[in-house]
Amino acid sequence: MTGWLGRLRLEKRNAPGTGVLLLVPLVSVVAALLFGAVFLSLIGLAPVAVYREMLRVSYTTGYGVADTLVSATPLILTGLAAAIAFRFKLYNIGGEGQLYVGAIAASGAALAFGDRLTGPAAILLVIVAGALGGAVWIAVPALAKAWLGTSEIITSLLLNYVALFLMQYLIFGARTFWRDPESATFPQGARIPDATRLPTLGTTRVNLGLIVAVLAAVVLYLLLTRTRIGYRWRVFGDAPAAARYAGIPSRQVIVVVLLLSGALAGLAGATEVAGRAGRLDPTGLALNIGYNGIIVAALARYNPLAVIPVGLLLGGVLNAGPALQTLPGARVPVAISTMLTGAILLFALAGELFVRYRIRMRDPADVEQLAEQATTAVASPRAATGPEAEA
Amino acid sequence: MNETVLVLTLAAAVSAGTPLALAALGALLSERAGVLNLGIEGIMLVGAVTAFLAADASGSPLVGLAAGVLAGAAFTSIHAFLSVTMRANQIVSGLALVIFGTGIATFLGQSIEGRPLAARLPRTSIVGLADLPVLGRVLFSQDVVVYGTWVVIVLAALYLTRTRTGLALRSVGESPATADAVGIRVAAMRYAHVIIGGGFAGAGGAYVILARVPAWAQAGTTNGIGWIAIALVVFASWRPLRALAGAYLFGAALRANFALQAAGITAIPAEFLAMLPYVLTIVVLMVLSATDTRSRLGAPAALGAPFVRDER
Repeated sequence: MTGWLGRLRLEKRNAPGTGVLLLVPLVSVVAALLFGAVFLSLIGLAPVAVYREMLRVSYTTGYGVADTLVSATPLILTGLAAAIAFRFKLYNIGGEGQLYVGAIAASGAALAFGDRLTGPAAILLVIVAGALGGAVWIAVPALAKAWLGTSEIITSLLLNYVALFLMQYLIFGARTFWRDPESATFPQGARIPDATRLPTLGTTRVNLGLIVAVLAAVVLYLLLTRTRIGYRWRVFGDAPAAARYAGIPSRQVIVVVLLLSGALAGLAGATEVAGRAGRLDPTGLALNIGYNGIIVAALARYNPLAVIPVGLLLGGVLNAGPALQTLPGARVPVAISTMLTGAILLFALAGELFVRYRIRMRDPADVEQLAEQATTAVASPRAATGPEAEA
Repeated sequence: MNETVLVLTLAAAVSAGTPLALAALGALLSERAGVLNLGIEGIMLVGAVTAFLAADASGSPLVGLAAGVLAGAAFTSIHAFLSVTMRANQIVSGLALVIFGTGIATFLGQSIEGRPLAARLPRTSIVGLADLPVLGRVLFSQDVVVYGTWVVIVLAALYLTRTRTGLALRSVGESPATADAVGIRVAAMRYAHVIIGGGFAGAGGAYVILARVPAWAQAGTTNGIGWIAIALVVFASWRPLRALAGAYLFGAALRANFALQAAGITAIPAEFLAMLPYVLTIVVLMVLSATDTRSRLGAPAALGAPFVRDER
């Protein structure tokens, strides 16, 4: 450990400043774009031109902004689903499957009862059905986590594949209740009644789902920061031992938090069905909205309010991939969106170090002293890091 | 189900279990060093797409395999850097690897989507053993990767239990502070095993495209078997030989729908049969955690925790 590198020291921050909190995601986005540029050049495309197109189709035109808002709606909801669970160290990575089942439940309810309802009741029906569907899909991993101690990570994830097959069966596999009976050659979901569609805002394609998502974020934020329940959840997440001593029922917290998380992902499915697609649409849903919610949550550092701007940002990136396909002469792979979002998360994770730690240079005199200690204390190599090093 | 169908199904189960075994070994080595690698699915996809491109360009499946291993290892170094040096949350970092790996694989794979690979691994029967009744067809009329998997699994088992480095590795996973105190370089051990583990996961992905699936199908090429491999590590109590046995068991589950269809059972829709391996994995995990405590299962004690010398 010689030279300037040996003098670098990481010091834990008590509370990260706003500057570093904003800087890390911004630098991550820029770094990911640079990284994506390498790949674009690899397949013979001009990165600057591609990025300019991405800006145009997602952010700098009226249609683009509307499309971005439509993409951001389910993303904010799956982002909240991941944020609420991950915040308390409950790793629900089954948002994708919960979204599918939420969509199945919402479209099922709309097809079954939608004709008999009007106005707010019809819309409430789809929303509640979607949330219930998502909650049902996380129920088994949640109960297994709480009572058997089964890691929710793999169980929730594997159910994504089960949900995907379920949806494929409902639309492609057989003539089910969900399938449009009139489209024999090209299987698709049956159109849900107009009363159950989410109204659009003004003349745009942006629908009520966006308002629902933003409201959900605000309510969650208040729940976590301003209520007794939120306080207990935070104790459970940050200091499980203290939570036990304080008599906070951990099983109950696990089940409630995970069910809430699943319900939010299911709600995302409901907004896709009742907002964007108007039917159960397996191809449209397969945009990894559930997985991308985890990226949104991580970039927002699991803060429900921060999920909104991050969701809007990533909504644009995710919208750009498919949008670029509709342009004449498009050769940009759709996966550019997935690759960029993945890269953003990786860079942000690396940046976490700078959020949690301050990098300090040791005084050269201290280093020499430390080196001396290290050479004199050969028998006990740990002495070099001082007495507090006991781990 | 007649005997031929049974034998063919078992042979297919061994082949289907091979990528699972390789990927599970990769996850296992990483976890033994104390680093949880949830990125296996993404690493397998990166290994698979690289193997396709390399095998297609060179005409040799073994070049494809080597490229898959190297790509898997190189790609996993991201996770090693994030979890060891940057002390990132290993769960989120692994997930990021899955998303990023899926992105890279589908980006590079766009031009080959739906294309079959000409340079597939040929069947190499083991002279003498291949003529055994039943077993010869099930075990010894496979390809070189199947046999190679047995070798690396046995070597890994010996490495973990019979060598000094293996002992050092286990101590890094159980108690990094103790390992550090006796002079084992914790960070170097973690880097090495996470990256080598990534190489095995890359090999698993390469095998999927070189021998299992008929054509490149983007993310559907591996279709979640990377996650089953991670569950297998728990199932195998972090032991390589058990991971191999478990992989063949799950390989059988992956093939069950074809076997049932071949046996003329059509009452259950194909989509529900396809759910079987995933549901089975969930049930197995739940039964395991209900009947065994974490310590008896044998999870490395320091799994998932970054090691920082001057911090508790």
